[in-house]
This record gives sequence, C-alpha cells and structure tokens, in this order.
Amino acid sequence: MNSIYVNKQVLWFGLIAAVIAILVYGVVRVSSRPSQPIGAETIVVAVEPNTDGFARAIGPWQWEFPRDHGPHPAFQTEWWYFTGNLTTADGRRFGYQFTIFRRALTPEQRDSRSEWYTNQMYLAHFTVSDMAGGTFYQEERFSRGAVDLAGAEVSPRFRVWIDDWAVFAADDTISQMLIRAKAAGFAIDLTLTPVKAPAFHGDNGLSQKGPEAGNASYYYSLSRLETKGTVEIGGGEFAVSGLSWMDREFGTSALSAGAVGWDWFAIHLDDGHDIMVGQIRHQDGSLEPLFGGLLVSPDGTTRYLTAEDFTITPFGSWRSKNSGATYPAGWEIELALDGDSLRLVLEPLLADQEVLANVIYWEGAVRISGDAAGYGYAELTGYAQPLRGLI
Amino acid sequence: MTGAVVSRLVYRALQRRVLQSVLFVISILAGVALIVGVDVAAESARRAFSLSLASLQGDATHEIVGGPSGVPSSLYRSLRADLGIRTGAPVIQDTVRVGAAEIPLTLLGIDPFAEAQVRQYLAGASTATVPGVEGQALLRLMAEPDTVLVAQSVAARLGVEPGDQLALRTARGRRNVTLVGIIHPANELSAQALASLVVADISTAQEIVGSPGVLTRIDLVLTDAQVLADIQGSLPPGVVVRPVESNRSSLEQLSDSFTLNLQALSLLALIVGLFLVYNIMSFSVVQRRTQIGMLRAIGATRRQVFAGILLEALVLGVAGTLLGLAVGYVLGGFLVGAVTRTISDLYYRVEVQALTLTSLTIAKGVFTGLGASLAAALIPALNATRITPASTLRSADAEQASRSRADVAAVTGIVVLGAGLVLTQFQAQSLLLGFGALFLVLMGSVLMTPLALLLVMHLVQPFLGRAIGTLGRIAPRAIARSLSRTGVAVAALSLSVSVIVGVSVMIASFRGTVTTWLDGALTADVFISAPASGLLETVNLDPELAVQLQNLPGVSQVLTARDVPVLAPDYPGLPPVNLVAVSDDLAERSRRYLWLAVPQEEVWEAMQAGAIIVTESFAYRRGISPEVNTLNVLTDNGVRSFPIVGVYYHYGTDQGIVLMADPVYREHFADPWVSSFALFLTPETQSAHVVESARRLVADQGLNVQSTGELRTQVFTIFDRAFNITAALRSLAAVVAFIGVLSALMALQLDQKRTLGTMRALGLTSGQLWRLTLLETGLMGLAAGLFALPIGLLLAKMLIDVINVRAFGWTFSFLVSPGSLLQAVLIALTAALLAGAYPAWRVAHLTPAEAIRNE
Repeated sequence: MNSIYVNKQVLWFGLIAAVIAILVYGVVRVSSRPSQPIGAETIVVAVEPNTDGFARAIGPWQWEFPRDHGPHPAFQTEWWYFTGNLTTADGRRFGYQFTIFRRALTPEQRDSRSEWYTNQMYLAHFTVSDMAGGTFYQEERFSRGAVDLAGAEVSPRFRVWIDDWAVFAADDTISQMLIRAKAAGFAIDLTLTPVKAPAFHGDNGLSQKGPEAGNASYYYSLSRLETKGTVEIGGGEFAVSGLSWMDREFGTSALSAGAVGWDWFAIHLDDGHDIMVGQIRHQDGSLEPLFGGLLVSPDGTTRYLTAEDFTITPFGSWRSKNSGATYPAGWEIELALDGDSLRLVLEPLLADQEVLANVIYWEGAVRISGDAAGYGYAELTGYAQPLRGLI
Repeated sequence: MTGAVVSRLVYRALQRRVLQSVLFVISILAGVALIVGVDVAAESARRAFSLSLASLQGDATHEIVGGPSGVPSSLYRSLRADLGIRTGAPVIQDTVRVGAAEIPLTLLGIDPFAEAQVRQYLAGASTATVPGVEGQALLRLMAEPDTVLVAQSVAARLGVEPGDQLALRTARGRRNVTLVGIIHPANELSAQALASLVVADISTAQEIVGSPGVLTRIDLVLTDAQVLADIQGSLPPGVVVRPVESNRSSLEQLSDSFTLNLQALSLLALIVGLFLVYNIMSFSVVQRRTQIGMLRAIGATRRQVFAGILLEALVLGVAGTLLGLAVGYVLGGFLVGAVTRTISDLYYRVEVQALTLTSLTIAKGVFTGLGASLAAALIPALNATRITPASTLRSADAEQASRSRADVAAVTGIVVLGAGLVLTQFQAQSLLLGFGALFLVLMGSVLMTPLALLLVMHLVQPFLGRAIGTLGRIAPRAIARSLSRTGVAVAALSLSVSVIVGVSVMIASFRGTVTTWLDGALTADVFISAPASGLLETVNLDPELAVQLQNLPGVSQVLTARDVPVLAPDYPGLPPVNLVAVSDDLAERSRRYLWLAVPQEEVWEAMQAGAIIVTESFAYRRGISPEVNTLNVLTDNGVRSFPIVGVYYHYGTDQGIVLMADPVYREHFADPWVSSFALFLTPETQSAHVVESARRLVADQGLNVQSTGELRTQVFTIFDRAFNITAALRSLAAVVAFIGVLSALMALQLDQKRTLGTMRALGLTSGQLWRLTLLETGLMGLAAGLFALPIGLLLAKMLIDVINVRAFGWTFSFLVSPGSLLQAVLIALTAALLAGAYPAWRVAHLTPAEAIRNE
C-alpha cells in the first residue's frame, strides 16, 4: 500500500489518539473485571457459642418410655445413634451407621407466623461399610426442623427423620424400630427388635463428661437390637441379619475445656454380653477420669464401669489420605472386675471408615477376639480437628 | 529569507490539513461516541438487571413458580422426601424499602441449608459452630427473629454496621431488623449482583413479606431430564416448572424496545457525521488536484492514488473511532443515570454499579466509525483517480461534475426513499426492519437535497437580486457553484433538523394522545397505591383497608384493583402477563376500543361472566384479533381459557394489560390481597380533605394517596423523564450537525478565499464581505430548515405509524403544532449563521494581498 497522502503529522495524530484510547480502555477493563461465576466469601461477625438458657444434665432424670425416645428440645444437643454389624446368609459382612443429630439454636421456640421458623436443626450421618468390596459409603444431610423437612416425635408414634431418611416405630409400643435411608449409591431398609430393656449409663442415665456440674448428658442405650433387612450398594441388594446398638444422648455442652476428643466402643460379645467403654482425651495427653463404661448382661442387668475398671491400649496406626489424620488401627481392652479379668482385642474390619462430614471422625465396624469373640463399633473423634464447640 | 517563506508555506499547508484532520476526527468521534455512549448506558442497565436476576437465581437451571398464589411450602418437602431431589432451594422474595431514604431493595428469604446447592455466594468457608451452618452470622440469621445480611456495598450505602438496626418498609407497614453480618463478595461481579439484596432467613422473609404456607418459588439445579419429567408429573395445578434462562431472557427483553429506540437515534448522529466526512474528504481532494495531477504525471498509478486517499481516511477514522470509544464510554456514564431511571419507572428496578463496555459495543463503534470513514471517503477517492495531469489545469471540472451528480443523487434518492416505503410493508412486526425502512427514507430524502438546493438557489436569485442588489445575486450563485460542498452541508443540516422535527412531532403527538387518554381513564377522584417501581413488583395490600376508606367522610364508593403477573403458557417467550382485576369498571363509558365483540355498555356484564378485555399493546404483541380471541392463563386450578371481548387503547405500559372482573379473578386464584384503591367522592366533597384523611389512615404503610390531578402530574413526570433521553439525543444530534455545518462552511469560505480576496481588491468593503458570507450561510440554513420540514414530518409519521407500533404496540394521533415547525426552521437558520460567523470574520479581516497570494 502506498502512503503518499499520509503525512507524518496525521500519523502522529492517529497514534496519540490511539494511545489515549487504549489507556482509557485499560482503566475500564481494570475497573470491571471479566465475568466469573457469582461467588462470595461470607465473612461473619462471630458470636460466642452460648449455652445460657438451655436445660443442663444435672440431677437424676425420671425416665419414661416411649416419651424419652422422642426429642428433648430444651437441651441443646441430642442424638439417635444406630450402629450395627450385618451379614448375608453366605457370610458377606456389612457395617452401618445411621445417626440423626438434633441441635437447638436457641433455648426457646418463639412464636412465628412462618411455618419455616424453627429453633431446631437436624443433621444426619449415614454410612455403610462393605467389607468384601472394601468400600466405605457415606452421606451427610442437614435440615431445619420445620415444614416436615426433619424432626423427631413420639406422638402419634416414634419417628425421627430428615427428608426420606427415617427411623420409626413399627407400633405404638415400639416393639420394633425401622430404619429406612436411601443415599446416592447405597441404602438400608432394616427392622430392629430390641432384646434388652434400655440400659442407663453413669448414674441412672446421668453420664458425667467432666468435673463441672452440668457438663454431662443423659445417656441410655438399647444395646442389643436384632436386625433384619436389606443393604443396597452399587445397585446390588443383599438380605442381611445381625445386631445393632442404639445410643441416645441429650445434653448441653458436654465437653470440658481441654478435652480434644473421645474413643468410644460398642461391643457385642457372642455370649450375649454387651459392653460400652470409652475415654475422653485431654489436650495434655491425660484421660478424663469421670467417663466410664457399661456392662450389660444377657438378661439386661447392667453394671456401671468406672475409668479404673478398664484400660484401652491402642496399637498400630492408619493415616487418612483424605484428612491427613492418623488413627489407631486396633485396641487392646482389659477389663478387671471383682478380681476377674477380660482381655479383648479389637481390629477394624475395614481400615478406611473415616466419616468426611463437617466434623471428621472415624466410625467403623470392628472384629473382637481375645478372651471372647464378637463384633462391635468404634468411634474415634478429635483426631482430625478438635471437637469442642463443634457438637 | 527563502527559508522563512518556505517554512511559512509549509506551516500554512499543515495548518489547513490539521484543521481538516481535526474536523474529520471530531465528526467520526461524535458519531461513534453517541453510539457507544447509548450502547454503554443500555448495556450497563441490562447487565445490571441480568446480574441481579442471576444473583437471585444463582446456579439454578429451573424454577418452580406459580401464579399470584405462589408455590405451596409443602411442595418443597415432597420434592426432597418423595422425589429425592437434593439440589433445590425454597425462596420467599419481595421488594422492600430500606432505611430513612426508603431505598428499594430485594428481600431474599432463603434456607441456608439449601443454599449451597443453588447460590454459592452465601456458602463461604468459615468456622462452623453448627455442623453445616457456615458461620455464626448464618446461625443468628436462622436463630434470631428479624435478622438480615447485606453485602458490604449495601451496608456502606445505608450507613450501617453489623449490630445496627434497619427499617424495612413494606405495604404492610414498617419493621425493624438487625444486621447480623456482612457478605463480602469474592469479586466485582458478585458485588454487583449482591448490590440490591437484603438476605434473610426464609422464616424472617415470610414474616415480613410472605403469606402462610406459600413460597415465591423453588429454585432447582437439574441436569437430568428424567428428574424434570418426574417433577412435572408431581406438581399440583397452578404451579409450573420452567427453565430460568427463558424467564430471564423474557424479563430482559422488557426494556428492549426502549433501548433499541435510543440506539437507533444514536445511529442518526453517525449518519450526519458521515456526510461531514464525505464533505471533508471531497474538499481535501479538490484542494490537492494540482498535487495529485503532478504525482500522476511522475508515474503514480490510479490505484496508488485511490489507496492513498483511503489510507488517509482510515488513519483519521481510526483516530476518531478510538477517541469516540473513549468519549462514548464517558458519555455512557452520564447517560446511564437517565436510562436506568426510566427503565426503573417503566419496566424493572435496576441499579448500575459499574459501566459495562462489551466487546459488541466496541465492535459496533469500530465498525460504524471505520465503515463511515471509508464509505464517506470512497467517492472522493474515486474522484481523485479521475484526475489526470492535464485536467488539473481546468479547475471547474469538479463543480461541473457535482452538478450532474446532484441529478444522479436525486434520482437515487427517489429510488431509496421508495425502497424504504416499500420495506415498511414487509415483516410487519420487525422493529429492526422498521428502523431500516426509516433510515432508507431519511437517506433517500437527504439525497434529494443537493438538487433541491440548486433549484431553490436558481429560484431565489432574481428575487434576492432585486431586494438586496449584487450581493443578493452573488450569494445564491456562489452556493450553486460550490454545490459539491454546499449540497452536502445543507443535506447534513437538513438531516439533523429533520430529526429534531420528527422526534419533536412524535413526542408532542404522543403526549397529546396520552393527555386525551388520561382524561378518559382517570374517572375516580382519589387514588391509593404503594410506591412500586416497574412492572415486576407486586404490592400486597390488605383488602380490609377498603372498608376503612369507605368509612372516611365524603367517600361514596371505593373500588379495588389487583395488579399481578400471571403466566400465559401460550407465550413462553414473552414476559408474564400483567393481569389487573377490578372490583368495578372505572371507565367503561369513556374507554376507547380498537374493537369490541359486545356492545360497549355490556362490557362489564361480559367481564363479570368471565370475559376479559386487553390493551392494544397486549393484543399487538400476541397477535390477538377478533378471530384470535382467547387467552390461556395458568390459574390455581390449572390452565384456564378466557374469552377476549375487546381490545382497548391504553398508554400506561407498553407491555400491555389484561383486565378482569375481581370476582372472576378470586374464583381462579386463592389470592387475598389487593394492589390499589380508587375512591369516588360525594358531589360536594373537596378531594383535598379526603386525600388528607386517607393519608393519615395509611401513614404506616407508606402508601401514596393522590388526587386525580396529582396522579396526572406524576404520569407526565414519568413521561417526560422517559423522553428526556430522547430529547437529549436529539440535541446531541443537533450539536453534531452544527459542528459539521461549521466545518463545511469554514472549508467552503477558506476555499473561496482567493475569490473573496479578488472581490476585496475589486472594491468590496469588508462590511460587504461580512454580509455576503452571512447571506450565503443564512440562505443555506434557511434552505436546510425548509427541506427539513417535509423530511421531519415524514420521519414523525414513520416513527408514529411504524416504529412506535412495532416497538410498543401503541397507535396515537399525529399532532403537529406550527410553532414547532417554525422553531425548527429558526434552529437551522441560527446554526448556519453561527457556523458562518467565524469564516465571515476571517474573510472580513483578509487583506486582498494576503488572500490573492498563491499558495
């Protein structure tokens, strides 16, 4: 192209204009950044966790069933905790955990025109351990306790639920409980029949978690529930039977300052004994002396176990790739009662039974050997993050 | 000595070229700046609206919505528990007025547990005190009554910090809420999205603006067609699931007609600029005839000459375009306020946080700027190639040619105009084609002006000669002789003045029509409504208020109107239907109908039996006619068909209205609320007294109580505000034209310098030269003004009969006031005289020797 008619001045004029325009454009581009998906970090004004106004576990509790299977909304925290070991007819083993937690945001339910209002929040953890497949399935759900989305009730009949996950009574006397839960890729449909009366922990159900008054919970278990039903994983359905354990606790702020977590074991021995032992670990490495355990005989009579009655010695370790936390890989539990002693060895049926929920913990099926045989469940908290203030 | 002369010559030459370059750049700059400015303002408003919709919808792909009765809360539970849908979120939403300034913001009521699936900006990572609840603020939001969150920008605007109280005003009264946290947006875009939100827990929102058992909607993130089908199968009657995208685009198009009109008007400015550039380039070629001739003589090819001229135009065009983009962006900042104000008045509430410069806007500016530069330079460049070394000696060649070209232009003009008129007959609904036709008609008319100018100058020459003498004969001849430049200058001036005439007549006709319509429509004495902006805000007033108003002294009758959006499944691409249910007919007698299927005095009877009537815009947009005369509406009982017995004239909204009898409405919708009241007074009552007592009655709700007069004033305030931008653009077009005429006349006069110098030498006084110059420019201005009248009226006729009908579905009468026409002629004359003043002054101060000196 011949540029005979473009003199230098015209070119400069154009050039300077172009530079100015590009500069202005640059400023514009900087001030309005190109499109990104809508997103924002919510930074919030912190308020201290407040337990004022909530009922505390202090005196003895007048137990009454089926009422006490239902919710106790005056307490801040409550749970319905089911764990169990199940087998198919040909011996394929599964473990499951089905838990619904209730959490009150405020001590009182205020009046509201809105059916969406509630001070009760619900949270559920549902896991299935497939020992043969080596797979741990898990899902977590939350919901407000309003608009029938989630809730707990005994009237007209016992039912605790989030969406379509529910545990409910088969009849008015709760001779059987049914658990139905369907998650992404796994489901259970189980019928649980209690074979023993409710067993109360601590002092007739007042279970001290620390030296302070009120730093306790009301705690009972249906320690042995014969369980039948189906487990569904990855499209396959398995008819199963086995034993479940139900733990029920309600209280307000149940961990002392300095406590970092707990180890909890629910043991079904083949001879018909059920044992719960647990320990609360402190930051300094010591154990909470006030927390103990419970021995339930085949006939349902119970015996409270103090911290001096048993020792729990962990062995081995397993490191989670997901959370980076290191958990023990087995335990030796020694019970010394009235001069007799019982030595049990607990080993996970599957190494990875870590629940990756908002609270990360390990909850899994274990095999029991040693002086007696059986199956059970272990719960290990506070290994991935300190638990205080979280539940 | 020689060096000084040479440098002086060079300086002079450059000065002239610089002046031309500057004028070229300014012409393109002004046109591009207007286009970009309007586009930036319109796009910013649209984007802000789109973002605010997006912020409300989050990642939702679908939404479940109902009619005025909303969506039952229990449906959300059944979606989760029965269908197992995890990715849904319930919403209760409405407009609230916040703080002492009553800033309208959207109260968004959400369930924090469901939000992470749909709206991620609320699920920021922070220490959770309750598992699953992200942060203490969300905890308080759910746990404590009357608590809200806002974005930092909103908090700053309202001057509040966490812990402070905020007053929320709804049609039900005032409510104080506590700000418990700040949402810190992750980026500018989220900031813009959040800029008009007040976030509350769904229970709080329901207490403040909702009804028991009812959600505004359920947002869904769906990827599976089967799930969608399952949902469709499980919905109760009166509730539908639809893609959010279709809803968003149907809402965004609400203001399309309005902004497209502005954009078309801005394009007019560029067309004026195009004429100027053509003028400048022609002049520049004429000036350099000798130089070009010499270059041809020493071996330059035609192709090189052609390329050289185009390259020059391109370089200047690039400069003008780039500067135009920058200036346009700044202009957009000024225009955006006015544009958003009107969009908020008429269509939807929108807040513009940041100007948007899209690549499409830039492309439009670049394309039109460079295109206009090259197109305008094309003919001068072709002319330059015709210059032969020999022809340079005959200077009159070009003018001789331009005279014959005036004939060609006129013939072309007639063809183009005819084509434009024919085009109006095609695609009778297309607004873009309408504008295409409008531009063809304008261009065609303008192409005829050079020949018309020539004829007029021949006509006036004898009269002026007799009236003024020699000067009177010289002036028209000079204009006719320099037709290549005077013709274009007059065409440009005619064009811009005709735009002024056309737009003014259109606005006046519209205003006149609206005045007549309002006189008939406002038959009640006092009106009570809630402040609401745009079409999308539904106001819920307690019908009990009607009883209290009825009890006010002096009130003889109270009518209620319910104004709600309803869904018409047959028109999924259009915005929801504005349904107005009235308890009695306000204006049965005075209403004017396009057509009626029943006698006028039986309309209300037919409506009570279930028929509806619709407005002209509504019918136009949906092709409703005496043959196509039913409307399917989604009611609480499912889709129901309503017969349309008439179409009436109404200028309240270009989106149209469906008028229904209140009992019929209540039969189909479980909706307890009303939207406004109209009071009729006993004959001897002063409306001011009733207004006063009604105001006291509704003080808490912040309702507007207006007499007929006040309502009229308000309607016209909004009307005038809507046309402010149009009027401003009209003035800007005039400014562009003025600059152009100035440049053309200056060039013309500078070109005539030698002639004028010779005249001075022959004895003309400087005063006579003054007069001659002003006479020339005055003649041109007058001619332009006169030509502009028929073009302007044609433009107005097309704006009214083609553009407005297609854009808004309105017809209105063609009202012309002689005063506005006279005004237009005066504007043209004044512009021309002002533009001539500087060249006249220059010429008058020339010494003959200076003027005659050969360059």
